[in-house]
Amino acid sequence: MEKNIRMVLFKEDQIDQASEAIETLHHQGISEKDISIISGVPFSEKILGRPAAWTNIPIFGIAGALVGLVIASLFNFLTPHLYKMTVGGMPLTPIPTSIVVTFELTMLGLLISILLGVIIEMISPSSGPKGYHPKISDGYIGILFTCPAATDEKTCLELQDMGAEIVDPAEVKQP
Amino acid sequence: MAVEAKPLYSSKATEHQETNAEELRKEHLMLDPMPRDEMNQMVMNAMHTTTKKYWVFLIGFGLAVVVLLFGAWGYMIANGMGVAGIRRPVFWGIFIVTFVFWIGISHAGTFVSAILRVFKAEFRRPFTRAAELMTTFGLAAGALYPLIHLGRVWVFYWMIPYPNARWLWPNFRSPLVWDFLAITTYLLSSTIYLFLPLMPDLAMARDRTTGWRHAIYKVLSLGWRGTEAEWLRLRKAIGIFAFAIIPVMFSVHTIVSWDFAVTMVVGWQSTIFGPYFIIGAILSGVSAVVTILYIIRSTMKNFDYFIRPEHFDGLGKLILIFSMAWAYFFFNEYILSWYGGEEALKQLLTLHATGPSAWVWYLMLICNVAIPWLFLWNKKIRRTPWIMFIITLLVNVGMFAERYTIIPLTLGHQRNPFDWGIYNPTIVEISIVLGTLCLFIFLYLLASRLIPLVPVWEVQEGQMSHTFRKVGKTEIPSVTELE
Repeated sequence: MEKNIRMVLFKEDQIDQASEAIETLHHQGISEKDISIISGVPFSEKILGRPAAWTNIPIFGIAGALVGLVIASLFNFLTPHLYKMTVGGMPLTPIPTSIVVTFELTMLGLLISILLGVIIEMISPSSGPKGYHPKISDGYIGILFTCPAATDEKTCLELQDMGAEIVDPAEVKQP
Repeated sequence: MAVEAKPLYSSKATEHQETNAEELRKEHLMLDPMPRDEMNQMVMNAMHTTTKKYWVFLIGFGLAVVVLLFGAWGYMIANGMGVAGIRRPVFWGIFIVTFVFWIGISHAGTFVSAILRVFKAEFRRPFTRAAELMTTFGLAAGALYPLIHLGRVWVFYWMIPYPNARWLWPNFRSPLVWDFLAITTYLLSSTIYLFLPLMPDLAMARDRTTGWRHAIYKVLSLGWRGTEAEWLRLRKAIGIFAFAIIPVMFSVHTIVSWDFAVTMVVGWQSTIFGPYFIIGAILSGVSAVVTILYIIRSTMKNFDYFIRPEHFDGLGKLILIFSMAWAYFFFNEYILSWYGGEEALKQLLTLHATGPSAWVWYLMLICNVAIPWLFLWNKKIRRTPWIMFIITLLVNVGMFAERYTIIPLTLGHQRNPFDWGIYNPTIVEISIVLGTLCLFIFLYLLASRLIPLVPVWEVQEGQMSHTFRKVGKTEIPSVTELE
């Protein structure tokens, strides 16, 4: 069955209508994975009645922090043994002064890996219909959905009755 | 005695309500919403408007950077550190003073953006980016000083965790290596923290530009569309950053203070130097944010809509609180040193207050304590941008004087009288100091026309979550959490 990707826009103050529109799409048998919401400001999934989304950013963060911790431990406790310079009365690998380096490198690992996580997730292929419209950054809420070609006009008209602005498929851009 | 009776409810009540709401709208940006496209247009117009005066300033500061900073630094590299005023007994002079000053300034972005974000202080929204930019550029200017102060700058890589031919690594127990790591961590993390919330605004700029600007914004916005997954990712990343960068910020200035506190120098060996430096850094940083906001508001198109007296008022209160906290730490440090009665310390404190450079010490107290306490309790003053500009400029003069008192004035008067001396910065040193100030202004001027200085999506998010709610006979502003 041939399917089309369509996009409708709601103004920033039409959040209630937008959530109703998503509900309507569900009633028409369009599954969650065939719907994408794009907006100019963040809305929680609950507001739009969408399933909870998932991100691996915290996992990237923890992994980065661990890498930082390991590197710091190597610097603190391994490097003095590579070329020992023993000073009378002083330990070769003191713990209090090592805490500073451990803290800084752990935090550095955490923070850099979060950026890397954001970049990796941004450039990774995502699920759901793709498309974009510059009006989104003007505060519009966009609903992108994939539906059977035979019913897409009818669906769009139904959403238009709810206050949606229908975007011509040719205007739907790929960023 | 005549008593004038007033009715509890008058026919003018509705009119009064409307006036009240109107006044609140005028007062608070969050209660004065504007369509997003108009706000976008205002920010883009501000970015695209470059007058002749702007180019004159930009080129002027650019030239000043070349001549004052790189010219003087090059001269010093060619002729050796002898052209600087640092010599026995004062080996840490105005370079280290300015280094501490810039690192202090850089605390503003994190404080304003991260701490106020964590505590959900709504008034922060329009100026977080201006403050974050200050952090990044302040650190960039400050990070030059360890290199400048090093003298033989070509061996700077000895600080980098990197072994020599004998597998001898840098000594990680040295506070100077801590400094290197802390500043590197803070510079990288504050730059990332500036970048993350910028992505949606870069996408907005991408959609409204053509040519080279469009190409740059397209790359930097990482293909941002505003999907649910992207927003969730951004929220999570900013959330983790806002919490994680706060201890990093505290660590940076604590470690800078340890450069001093771990030594045996009279007047430096103090257990409260860490928090004392942090409070001073936040005081100077928040003051610098006000200074910058005034300049931005007065010189950039449409910024009077985004930056309002309420923001100067809010920041003014913070400055007053931090000025009091700074005074508390200063007094704590001072009285215990004085009470201890150690001869060298007693003489040092007397020298600070009565010696030939006593004016620096009094300048510090006047600018950091007397001026904020005298003026900032007054709401009218806090809400007058130009007065706030002058006050905050003076606070930073005071903070510079504080660092000058702590470093060269203290080093010049240690335990052995035969080794006392007075430090006078040379023209080369002063040029370099002015050069980094010009570098900061130059970078800021450039950035003001390249990136949206107002986080428009954050402002709109705030405006959407603020509404009026009727309580009893009046309407009061209320905030809803959209996230």
